[in-house]
Amino acid sequence: MPHQEDVRLMAHLMRRAGFGDPREELEKRVSMGYEAVVEELLHPERQPAINEELLYRYFPGYEGAGAPPINQANWVYRMINTRRPLEEKMALFWHQLFATGNSKVDNPPELTRQIATFREHGLGAFRDLLVEVAKSPAMIFWLDNHGNRDGAINENWGRELLELFSLGVGNYSEDDIKEAARAFTGWTIAPKIPRNPYGRFHWQFEYKPEEHDDREKTFLGHTGNFNGEDIVDIIVDQPATARFLARHLYRFFVADEPHVSTWNITPPVDPEAIEFLVDAYNESRGDIRSILRALFNADFFKNAQFARVKCPAELIVGTVRMAGNFNGFKPGFNNLALECGWQGQELLNPPSVEGWHTGSEWIDPGVLMRRVNFAARVFGDVSLPGVQAIIKRVVVNAHGDPSPQAIVAACLDAMGPLEVGEVTYSELIAHAERCGDLAWSTSEELLATLRNVSKILTLIAASREYQFA
Amino acid sequence: MLTTVAAGRVYDYSYCIGMYSQSGRGFWAPQDFVLGPDGRMYVLSRGVEQLGQRVSKVTLDHEFQGQFGSVGAEDGRFVWPRSIDLDDHGRVFVSDEHLNRISIYDEEGGYRYHWGRSGSEEGQLNGPSGIAIDSRGAIWVVDSLNHRVQSFSQIGEFQSKFGRQGGGDGEMEMPWGVCVDRQDNIYVADWGNNRVQKFAPTGELLVKFEGTSAGVGDLKGPSGVAVDSEGDVYVTDWGNHRVQIYAADGQYITALVGDAQEPSPWAQAYIDANPDLIKARRRTDLEPEWRFRRPVAVNVDADDRIIVLESYHHRLQVYNKLKDYVEPSINL
Repeated sequence: MPHQEDVRLMAHLMRRAGFGDPREELEKRVSMGYEAVVEELLHPERQPAINEELLYRYFPGYEGAGAPPINQANWVYRMINTRRPLEEKMALFWHQLFATGNSKVDNPPELTRQIATFREHGLGAFRDLLVEVAKSPAMIFWLDNHGNRDGAINENWGRELLELFSLGVGNYSEDDIKEAARAFTGWTIAPKIPRNPYGRFHWQFEYKPEEHDDREKTFLGHTGNFNGEDIVDIIVDQPATARFLARHLYRFFVADEPHVSTWNITPPVDPEAIEFLVDAYNESRGDIRSILRALFNADFFKNAQFARVKCPAELIVGTVRMAGNFNGFKPGFNNLALECGWQGQELLNPPSVEGWHTGSEWIDPGVLMRRVNFAARVFGDVSLPGVQAIIKRVVVNAHGDPSPQAIVAACLDAMGPLEVGEVTYSELIAHAERCGDLAWSTSEELLATLRNVSKILTLIAASREYQFA
Repeated sequence: MLTTVAAGRVYDYSYCIGMYSQSGRGFWAPQDFVLGPDGRMYVLSRGVEQLGQRVSKVTLDHEFQGQFGSVGAEDGRFVWPRSIDLDDHGRVFVSDEHLNRISIYDEEGGYRYHWGRSGSEEGQLNGPSGIAIDSRGAIWVVDSLNHRVQSFSQIGEFQSKFGRQGGGDGEMEMPWGVCVDRQDNIYVADWGNNRVQKFAPTGELLVKFEGTSAGVGDLKGPSGVAVDSEGDVYVTDWGNHRVQIYAADGQYITALVGDAQEPSPWAQAYIDANPDLIKARRRTDLEPEWRFRRPVAVNVDADDRIIVLESYHHRLQVYNKLKDYVEPSINL
């Protein structure tokens, strides 16, 4: 039997670096050792990728789909079924940071392609990712760089590149924005075959030298005949960029922080952790894999269990991964994707270029009801393989100790392991006591046991504690 | 190339049919079609999730004659429809990979009955995909996730089976489409093994259609197959976005890549109604639109016209196999 603290820590790692794992998977990972699991997560190429040919054989309508929910479903399928959890989690991280929304882009398959870019480059050098994002047609359209030409600059991309994608407010001037925009003139999108009557065709990045401002620029104290990649090279060497990215990584992987729009006036929750991540950035020259290795192995990460409110994708994907009801191909991934939107996280359509407001801002009374109802409904379905596995584990445990305390403890263990506060715990115990001893001598007793354990699981899923990652 | 000449054969692109549509005149992620009497075709749309599943009745000269079926598990509906065929009485058979059943309709789409049980035992189904009806009326069903082919009577009584999972001769890996020729031989698109295998009705392996060691005639995830009156074999090479053509003995002949330079009349009407669309189309290279993307099913009609269904472009492209072609002067 693995040590309970090791399982608890592994569950924490998998909730943060992935979307959670069922108990059996956690125990397998514990046997590998924590640091080895971190390395496996950091090297997704060592695990098989989603088989796209198989995916599009069964879901032919997903490929190049025009409807936003179908593109969201395509991503949710991958979040649930991936063997590369950190790769998918990083795609979500970068989608939050480089927030690009279908409300303006109106091209869901192009956004799906942007997510694939995050998947491909999300653990590499930040510099390379920034260049890829600058060339992403969805981003070019989102921030109007297709209208950024020599003599008629559009500052939108240049401004957000500095404000929201790298340096943060207070670390550049208005002149820097203009100069950055000048450097990205001519970075545009080639005309494409319009959508329909024969489906969708992708945009392609196009560099138009005739629209590029080829004159000298001064940016953040550097002077030269800069093009876009030169601007990125200067940006990634700025101390402010290291600090900005460190704070984003901390907020996404470690603990809730105020929204990015307040960072110029609100200090970090844990300045020492931010300094640690800044050092990792500088030592690795902005290599994301190296920074995350330092983060996942740091004590401040290991000690931050249940310090973040789950975003809707984490709550939904984590719940169905544990319940096992969307493993492989089946209809209905679009309903899960829609549920994300109903809970406030419409994938591929963040509310603005600032991304979603996270932490406690995920929760309001209406959304809380949705979150609770969703998770409780899943864990209340005793036909689901993951729920059956949890109940089996609880029943096996009850052979040795059928007391209400032991049953509640086994349920909390099998669903996490989860830690709950006194109020939740006493409610669970009170319910377990009302159910009486578990028994399974007759089919009626077995059915009652299934119902009673399932009810405890439902109550746990409805608890305050289940809302945290 | 509008005209493809190879090994004594000439294939001449003719025209295309259809366009994208969530309902009515058009198709949505179509998976299969069958040629019926009087130029009518039945085109099976997979749609996506809870939308778009249907059978469209369309003629080869672009007349839309209605549709039937919709999403659901109730009688007459489907969830993941994959394949369609007709029997001698004009009844329409549709396979459903999710519900593990075959539904039968009359020629206008009235629901009659269905059969099929889930499982891996003899006569049970797990992901039935391609179906084909032979001259005796037997229904050959590609039992994809059981990696085999089974035959049934019209009312679903098990008759025979062949194939098992693997890459050896006669074995299969998630087979997909199927057809029968005039001698009732069975051609199976062996998707996971990148080949087509031809079997006698007894299940004896006769010929394999696949790439050579030099890569000539390669297949990547073949989805559908058809045979013309001269025995030439057409395979929708789904993963490579082309149709591969082989002689009856397996010798590779040539490929078709799609040539729909002129939109179908339905598509042209859609374009003509939108001046912005016309302008946008004039500013870009339209070649990707002509070419096959996810060709998924192929049929040959009585005149040896080769008709290819594309899932991604939601249309059919029609080629003539010319029998009286005279080479133009080489020095024109």
